Amino acid sequence: MKKLVTGMVLVLFFVLCAGVSVCLAGKTYDRVERDGLVRIGLMYNSIPAAYFNENNEWVGFDVDIAEEVAKRIGGYMGKDLKVERVKVNNKTRISFLTSDRIDMSTANMTHKRERDRVIDFSITYFFDGQKILAKKGRFTKHEDFVGKKLASMQGTTSEKNAVNLLKALGDPNAEKNVISFQDEPSCFLALQQDKVAGWTTDSTILIGFSAKEPGKYELVGDFFSDEPYGIGLPEDDSKWRDSVNFAIQDMWADGTYMKIYNKWYGADTEYYFPMTEKIEMWP
Amino acid sequence: MHKHSSYDVLKQVGIFAVIAFILYLVFSHADFGYKFHWAVLYEENPTYKEVFGLWLLRGLVLTIKISLISTGIALFLGTIFGIARLSLFKPTYYLATGYVEFFRNTPLLVQLFFWYFAFPMVLPEGMRMFLNDNNFEFWAATVGLGIYTGAFVAEIVRAGIQAIPHGHVEAALSSGLSGPQMLRFVILPQAFRVIIPPLGSEFLNNMKNSSLAMTIGVAELCWNSQQIESFTFRGFEATSAASLIYLGLSLSISVIMNSINHHLKIGQEQKLTTLDRILGALFLPVVLVFRGISLIITLGKRLFRLGEFAPVHVEAVYVSVWKRALLVIAKWLVFLGKGLFIVLFVTLLALITLALYSFEWSIIANNFRSLLVWTFPHGGAGEIFFGLGGLSMSIILAAIALFVSFFIGLVFGLGRLSKNPVISTPSVLYIEIIRGNPLIMVIFWVYFFSPIVTGMQIDVFWSAAIAFTLFSGAYIAEIVRAGVSAIPRGQVEAATASGLNYFRTMRHVVLPQALKIMIPAFVGQFIALFKDTSLAYIIGVFELTTVAQMLNNRLMIYPFEIYTTIAVLYFVCCYGMSMVAKRLEQKYTPSKRSVAASAVP
Repeated sequence: MKKLVTGMVLVLFFVLCAGVSVCLAGKTYDRVERDGLVRIGLMYNSIPAAYFNENNEWVGFDVDIAEEVAKRIGGYMGKDLKVERVKVNNKTRISFLTSDRIDMSTANMTHKRERDRVIDFSITYFFDGQKILAKKGRFTKHEDFVGKKLASMQGTTSEKNAVNLLKALGDPNAEKNVISFQDEPSCFLALQQDKVAGWTTDSTILIGFSAKEPGKYELVGDFFSDEPYGIGLPEDDSKWRDSVNFAIQDMWADGTYMKIYNKWYGADTEYYFPMTEKIEMWP
Repeated sequence: MHKHSSYDVLKQVGIFAVIAFILYLVFSHADFGYKFHWAVLYEENPTYKEVFGLWLLRGLVLTIKISLISTGIALFLGTIFGIARLSLFKPTYYLATGYVEFFRNTPLLVQLFFWYFAFPMVLPEGMRMFLNDNNFEFWAATVGLGIYTGAFVAEIVRAGIQAIPHGHVEAALSSGLSGPQMLRFVILPQAFRVIIPPLGSEFLNNMKNSSLAMTIGVAELCWNSQQIESFTFRGFEATSAASLIYLGLSLSISVIMNSINHHLKIGQEQKLTTLDRILGALFLPVVLVFRGISLIITLGKRLFRLGEFAPVHVEAVYVSVWKRALLVIAKWLVFLGKGLFIVLFVTLLALITLALYSFEWSIIANNFRSLLVWTFPHGGAGEIFFGLGGLSMSIILAAIALFVSFFIGLVFGLGRLSKNPVISTPSVLYIEIIRGNPLIMVIFWVYFFSPIVTGMQIDVFWSAAIAFTLFSGAYIAEIVRAGVSAIPRGQVEAATASGLNYFRTMRHVVLPQALKIMIPAFVGQFIALFKDTSLAYIIGVFELTTVAQMLNNRLMIYPFEIYTTIAVLYFVCCYGMSMVAKRLEQKYTPSKRSVAASAVP
C-alpha cells in the first residue's frame, strides 16, 4: 500500500511537471503597452556598442539606439515606457528572446537566415562588415594569414566566416586555426600576447578595442563579409516588429539616428567609422 | 555497503524502466511549446553541410586526451609534493604546503585564465612565440589542469602515507631496514592501497574539470556542444547528448576504478567477479611489463652476486670503508642539495616579491570596490540586488545554493539509503547523473531546460543558483549518506525497539549525531561551491570572475594585476573557510575527541 502511494506521488509529480508548461507569453506589443515596461537585451562587454565605462555606467551605441527606440514606441502608445536593461552575451542573446525574457535584443547581432528561423529581426540598423585586426606592420593582405591562427568569438557569424575565408585561401587546417573564445576581451588579449596572428570580427568592434592602445594595431585587408545588424525580436509578432521598424525609420528621418551615430562613430571619436549606407525607408 | 541480491537489481532495473517510460511519455506528449529536434545530431545540416554529432565525437577524443595527460602530470606532481609535505626540511615543507594550499583554494577557471593570459607575459618573446606556435591552448589547459589536480593528489598521497601506523615504521626500523627499503617494502605498498580509491575519484573529477578548457578556446566535448548550439540554436539537444557522453565516460572510469579496488584488496582473489577478471585482462600488458622488469632486476642481481664469492668477513672491513666514504659523500650531496634548494626557494620568493613590486597598485585600488560589490547600491532598474556583483555576489550565490541543496541532499541522501526501490532508485539516478557530469553541463542544462519547462526565462542569476543547487544537492546527498551510515546500526535498532517510527528515529536519534559528523564536510562543500561560482561567468552572471573579465576588458593592459587580485580574493575566502573546517573537524570527529580525552589524565 505504502509503495503504491509513493509510486502515485511520483507519477503525479511528473504529470505536474508537464502541466506547468502553460504558455505565458502574450503578444509583445499589448504586453508592453499594458505594463509600460520594455525589456531590452544589451551586451556588457562590447566597446563601443555596449559596455561599462570608467564610472561603471552602461553606455554605448547600442544602448542609445535601444533607449531611443523604446522612447519612440512609447510615443506611439502615448505613454512613457520604462526600460529594463538586461545583460546578454553571445550565449544568451537569442535564447532570451525565444524564452520571452526580453522583448528586443540590441546586441551586435547580424541578421542571418539561420537565426531568422527562431527569432525575427528588425530592419538593418547598423551596417558593419568583418575584418581582421593584427599587430601593426606584420601583415598586408588576407593571404598572409593562411597557416596562422585567428581569434574569434564562439557562437558568432564571424567565426564561421573566418573558417570559410581561410579555406577559400587554401588553408588545410582552417578549422583548427580559428580559435574561439567566450568573449571579446579574451580575443583581444590573445591578439595582444601574440597567441593569434589576427582577431576577426565586425570591424567596429575591432576599432573599439584597438583604440585602447593607439598605433599598435591595424586592420588588414578588405571586408570579407557583410554584417547587417538587426534588432532581434520575438518570432511571429508582427505588430511589435512594425513598431520597432517604424521607430528606427523615424529616428533616421529626423536625424536622431545620425546624432547618435556621430556620438560613437563620428570623425572626432576614437572609434571613427564612416557611415556609407542608408537605413531602409518605407514611404 | 549492503549487498545487492539479484532480485534487488531486477527491481531497480524495473523502476528505472518505469521512470524512463514516464519521462518518455512526458516528453513525447506534453506540449512544451518547444519542438524537440534530435535529428540535428545525426542528420546533415542543410545550411552548413555538417553532421553535428561527429563534432561531439571529435570533442570526446580531445577530452580523453586532455584527461589522460593531465592525470599523468597530476600523479607526478602529487606524489612529489605529497611526500614533500611530510619533509622535515622546512623549505621543502613550505614550498609543498604553499603549492597545495594555493592551488586547492582558488577556482580552476581563474587558474586557467592565469596560465593562459597572464603567465606568458613574464616569458621572453622568443619563448612566447614558441608556445604560441605549438598549440598553447591545449597545453595551458592540460598542464593547468594537471597542476590543479596535482594539489589534490598531493593531499591524498600525504594522507595515505600518514595512515600507516607508526608501529610499522618502528618495526621496520628495528628489523634493520634502511630508509629507502622501508619506503619500498613497508610504507608504499600499504599507502598505495589506501590511496587508490580517493585517487580514482580525483581522476574522475579531473575528467569532468577538463570541460573548463572550453573557456580558453580548446575544442573539447563541452565546447563542441556549445558550438552546435550556436550554429543551430538546438541547445537542449546538444547539451543532452554531451551530458550522456560525459555520463558514459564517468561510469566507465568508476567501473574501472572499482575493479582496480577489488583487485587490490588483500586476499580477495576468489571474490573477483567476471567483469573484474575481464577488466584485469586489459591491464595484462602493464602487469607483464612490470613482471618482466622485476625479473630482469632479480636476474641481474643474481648474476652480479655470482661474481662476488669472496668470504664475507674479509670483505666486511673493505666494504665498511667504502660505505663510510659513500655515506660521507651522500651526506655532502644532501647538504649541497639542501643549499641549492634554499637558493632556488629564495629566488622564487624574490621573483614573486619583484613581480608584486612592479604591479600597478593604483589599478587594483581603483577597482577594488567594483570587484567586491560591483555597482551596488546604484544599480539600474531591473538589476538583481540593486546592481550587486563581484565577490559578494559569488558568496551569496554559494550561500543560497548550499542552503537549499542541504534539504535536497537530506531527502535524496536518506532516499538512497531506503530499502524501498521506488524511493531509492530515483535518488540513485539523481545523484549519479549529476555527479557523472561536469558542473558546466548542469549549468547549461538548467539554462536550456528551464525555459522549455516553464515557458519563460528566469534571470541568469537564478538560473545559475538552481544549477548550483542541483549540482551541490547530489554531493550533499552523498555526504548525508556517509554520515548516516556511520551511525552504529544498534542505535537504529534500539530506537525502533523503543517504538519510534522511521521519521522520529531519524529526527531524534540518527540525524542529530550524523549532522554533527557531517559539518566539516559541509564546509568543504561550501568551499567547493564557492570556487565553482566562477563558472557562472559562462552564462554572464556578474560574479567575481565576470567582473574581473569586464574590468580587464576596459583596462586592457593589466591582466596580471586583475587576475592576481581575484585569485587572492578567492584564496583568502576559501582558505579562511578551510581553517574553520579544520577547527570543526577537530571539535566534532569522535575518534579525535576520544584521543584528546584519553590524553588528559
